[in-house]
Amino acid sequence: MPDNDKRYTEHAENTEKHGKQKRKIHAIPLLPCFPCTNYFFRLLLYPLLAAPLGVFILYAFSQGWFFPAPFPETWTSAPFARVLSDPRTLSSLRDSLLIAFAVSLLSLVIGYPAARALGLRQFRGRQVVWLLLYLPTVVPPLAIGMGLNILFLQIGLAGTIPGIVLAHLVPTLPYVTFTLAGAFARYDEAYEFQAWVLGASASRTLFTVTLPMLAPSLAVAALFAFLISWSQYLLTLLIGSGRVITLPVLLFSAASGGNPVTIAALALVFLAPPALVIATTIRAPRDLSHNL
Amino acid sequence: MSRYIKTMTQVNLLNLTKRYPNQPAPVLKDFSLCVENGELVALLGPSGSGKSTLLKLITGIERPDAGDVQFDSVSILTLPPSQRGAVFMFQKSYLFPFLSVEENIGFGLKVKRAPRDEICREVGRMLDLIGLPGIEKRKPSQLSGGEQQRVALARALVTRPKLLLLDEPLSSLDTEVRLNLQEAIRVIQRELGITTILVTHDLGEAMAMSDRMALLLKGEIVAAGKPEALFHRPPSLAAAQFMGVSTFLNGRKAAGSLVTPWGALQITCVETSPSTTYAIRPEHIRLEKEPATNALPGKVTDCVFRGEYIEYQVAMGGLSVRARMPMPAPTFPHGEPVFVKLPREQLFEVAG
Repeated sequence: MPDNDKRYTEHAENTEKHGKQKRKIHAIPLLPCFPCTNYFFRLLLYPLLAAPLGVFILYAFSQGWFFPAPFPETWTSAPFARVLSDPRTLSSLRDSLLIAFAVSLLSLVIGYPAARALGLRQFRGRQVVWLLLYLPTVVPPLAIGMGLNILFLQIGLAGTIPGIVLAHLVPTLPYVTFTLAGAFARYDEAYEFQAWVLGASASRTLFTVTLPMLAPSLAVAALFAFLISWSQYLLTLLIGSGRVITLPVLLFSAASGGNPVTIAALALVFLAPPALVIATTIRAPRDLSHNL
Repeated sequence: MSRYIKTMTQVNLLNLTKRYPNQPAPVLKDFSLCVENGELVALLGPSGSGKSTLLKLITGIERPDAGDVQFDSVSILTLPPSQRGAVFMFQKSYLFPFLSVEENIGFGLKVKRAPRDEICREVGRMLDLIGLPGIEKRKPSQLSGGEQQRVALARALVTRPKLLLLDEPLSSLDTEVRLNLQEAIRVIQRELGITTILVTHDLGEAMAMSDRMALLLKGEIVAAGKPEALFHRPPSLAAAQFMGVSTFLNGRKAAGSLVTPWGALQITCVETSPSTTYAIRPEHIRLEKEPATNALPGKVTDCVFRGEYIEYQVAMGGLSVRARMPMPAPTFPHGEPVFVKLPREQLFEVAG
């Protein structure tokens, strides 16, 4: 691992040095047969990716769209508004947001020390810790969920939001820890030493130096945790025991209900927060990135 | 600068020992050094000689296994790094990239909850001191390497530290910038009268900047003293090698002369130990065409033109002697037989 880290740092330095050249390489088309291949490739790819979204929008904002008609007869936001004002949608949206934010925060709090140790320190059993952290990504979630359910039933966490938050930490922690460990491998503790000798306490150094320095990576890690928690269906269902209805659970039951308008509107609601988060953070790292 | 309160600090490092786990030899062995108030002491040593570890022990980033660090005869080992009043400056500036120059310099004062107008005033004064007024609002990434180091110095000094630690602060800079900054740091250090320890592997830098020098090898001080004294008469073989001496003559003493395998040489001091080593600085060696007193025969094997001097390598038996002849110097072609003159008063004895 130390060799890997070193290579990573060297690579980062090289990229910094030859930034311009690297960027040029990125501009080379994916299939360099014709100059316009890249353009056609995109022309096919983007509609393919956008198609399901388009169908959702068509369904959610229309009325009376039946088989032979190529497009809906009337355009209206009524079905979307109806689904959105449904108290069940609102409460599931609130629970989903609450759980996802709590999971993001807790993942950072728990993942930070682990990542710091893995990224900055050499210690006996480091490889074993990496392996243990990888495990949740390999073990089937159903097995984890069943086991946790039995445990949580005994200690009274089953069917509660804290229980679900804890369960969601299982799949989010590996991603958060890996992302932050990578950031720490490129990090230089001497920034903290500087803050200390200038009179800053350990906690002050954390908040005024370390966290701002790592802000881009922290944002990416939090985003991972948020998205994983947000789209979590199985663990929520198993631990929530039907008492906590998050958006994915509601969407699943709607999907089995078979009303395409409701499904489409719910799917759009489900898509909105991640889309919003990605849209805002996609620019953030560029603003926050420093010459580390 | 009259308003700058001069901090009086004598620093005492007593028998410091530090060993890292999984390493057989300790990084520092029973290391003792006293730095007087306002003095600049340079620690000269190759990488891995324990220089940086020493600074970490003084600032409290690492704990020593044994020994004590005292400021004005009071142990500071129990204090956390933030309360020791020892600041450092590294090869890299480590300016906080997300803060402006002003915020960087003011960091130490802000942490101490100084009023805003005082921070502003002190930052302005520091920028004047380092010769970069008016760059308050810039980001570190907009500064050159030399400017970054100057700002790092200002950030370290604004808190009025008891001790300034410089860890190879100039080794990543271009020669010209480096020489300028050497002078600037020296002037500021004298002006503020701040006790300073400079760690470097550059002999020229150590000599140009320090009041006193200590040569460090494998965690131990090999020799210490004034730069001039150490340069001209290094006491030991290791110290002499440090100071750029490469000619060592082993021999036996007999009645005011040194009998070497290459011939007998007149020497000044006569001591009792019969077999001994004498050394001479490369710039004191002269090459002659004709035989002379204290001249041994040899053959020129290499010649490098260095501008201010020409450097010759002369093979003398199995020994290769380096001689620096200041310009203008006589030219000797490759393979020319010459006489290597070792002036009697420039030969000095070195201990094993």
